[in-house]
Amino acid sequence: MSFLANASRSPATFAMNASAASIPHDAHGHHGPVLQYQPGLPLSRGKLIMWLFLSTEIMFFAALLGSYVVLRFGAAVWPKPHHVHLSEPIGAFNTFVLICSSVTVVLALEAARANKRSLAKIWMLATLVLGAFFLGIKAYEYSAKFSHGIYPAAPRGLIYERPDLYYGSAVRARLSDPAIIEQMKELDARPESELTAAELTGRRRLAQVREMAMAADQQAFDLAVIADQVMPLADDAAGGHGHGGGLNETFSWLQLPIVIPGGNMWASTYFLLTGFHAIHVIVGLIVFGILLLYELGPKHAGMIENAGLYWHFVDLVWIFLFPLLYLF
Amino acid sequence: MSTPSPNESTASHGPVTEPGSLVESQAGGGSTSADHPAGHGDEDHGGLGLYLAVFGALCFLTTMSFFTYSSYWPWRDEPQVGWAFMMAVSCTKALLVVLFFMHVLWEANWKYVLTIPAAMMAIFLAIMLIPDIGLRNRMVAQERALHMARPADLLLLEQAASAAEGEPHHADDHDH
Repeated sequence: MSFLANASRSPATFAMNASAASIPHDAHGHHGPVLQYQPGLPLSRGKLIMWLFLSTEIMFFAALLGSYVVLRFGAAVWPKPHHVHLSEPIGAFNTFVLICSSVTVVLALEAARANKRSLAKIWMLATLVLGAFFLGIKAYEYSAKFSHGIYPAAPRGLIYERPDLYYGSAVRARLSDPAIIEQMKELDARPESELTAAELTGRRRLAQVREMAMAADQQAFDLAVIADQVMPLADDAAGGHGHGGGLNETFSWLQLPIVIPGGNMWASTYFLLTGFHAIHVIVGLIVFGILLLYELGPKHAGMIENAGLYWHFVDLVWIFLFPLLYLF
Repeated sequence: MSTPSPNESTASHGPVTEPGSLVESQAGGGSTSADHPAGHGDEDHGGLGLYLAVFGALCFLTTMSFFTYSSYWPWRDEPQVGWAFMMAVSCTKALLVVLFFMHVLWEANWKYVLTIPAAMMAIFLAIMLIPDIGLRNRMVAQERALHMARPADLLLLEQAASAAEGEPHHADDHDH
């Protein structure tokens, strides 16, 4: 009971309300207390509903984050951030952008409460721009994954878990694709003077890979060499041989299958987590866009507060997503 | 605690409200603004200085968790140290956002009703996943084990990479 009662409305008030019917007179024989309805929770309806919604959101993201952590630590192999072309500085910068947007929405609320309408509008607009900026960076990151053949699912995803016979046959199948054969013929026909240094090296390596992939007696190590040539796993010391791309990067049409141990599960969780977060960001941006249509004075401070609560929650989720996805 | 108006007896009851008047308006000096629910003159907490201080702290903490990625981080060989550190940093950041930006610090006690059960459910949910999903690789069918990535694959790929590293990048026709 006292849990629900605000400090200024003491538990006694609450108890009185509950037992009022049975106490017609107070101790001094005066008239009975005049009762008045009091809401159960000392906050506005909109805010209450927003908080109830947020508590369901806590569980929603807890389920996603919890499954990610459990999947990640239960996996025999999990790719390092470099293996999947995650850039920590970009992630950290995105965190910074989102924190900035959290500050601007708080300042918009303060300004609206102080009836500084145009200032509130400026802060709100800044929030909208920062949120859109966050999404833009995210889109850039997604496109970097896609260009490496890292998709969450099969038809476009090129990820194989191990350099085994299945991988070898997938490489063979791709190299036997008539369209690819055509492209490779074209590449072979081009004079050396036309090719860049990377393309020249790539052409030589592609010839090796073709030879190895089509060979009758492949060892496990040969398949690992093919995988390394197609898309090397970058090692921890960034800037090493890894970031120099592989055949897939040199020739964007090639799209040979790649090997990232644990990469499929990684892609599923990464895109699910960041995707749901991005959806929340988009919803937040729509809300801010709608709010911008209003006069942002004290009258609408409640709306700004509720939208802000939601936005801070989105920020909160990213605070956990960033280290879990980029730094673990 | 609210101060009752002097003409009312409060021997056995709490403050008694007059018709049409709210309890808040009777609350006297004993009630601080922090106890107030949202509504009246309670939005004077916060302020630009405080928000900027929180913002600075958040930026500093983000830099701290990013620091684990830098080469100056002393525990690069023990990732668990970094993980624990980053989770501590994240929880601190989350707490700062919730307390100050979401104004929870200044809210009444209802905040516990909503947040504590949700947090407990969240933790319980994650723990429930451990036996079936976290420990899924303890026992797997042979067929599945055949296709699963394993640390040996990573090793093999690293060896292949260092073999490629060993040879000059531009010119030679030697395979592996």
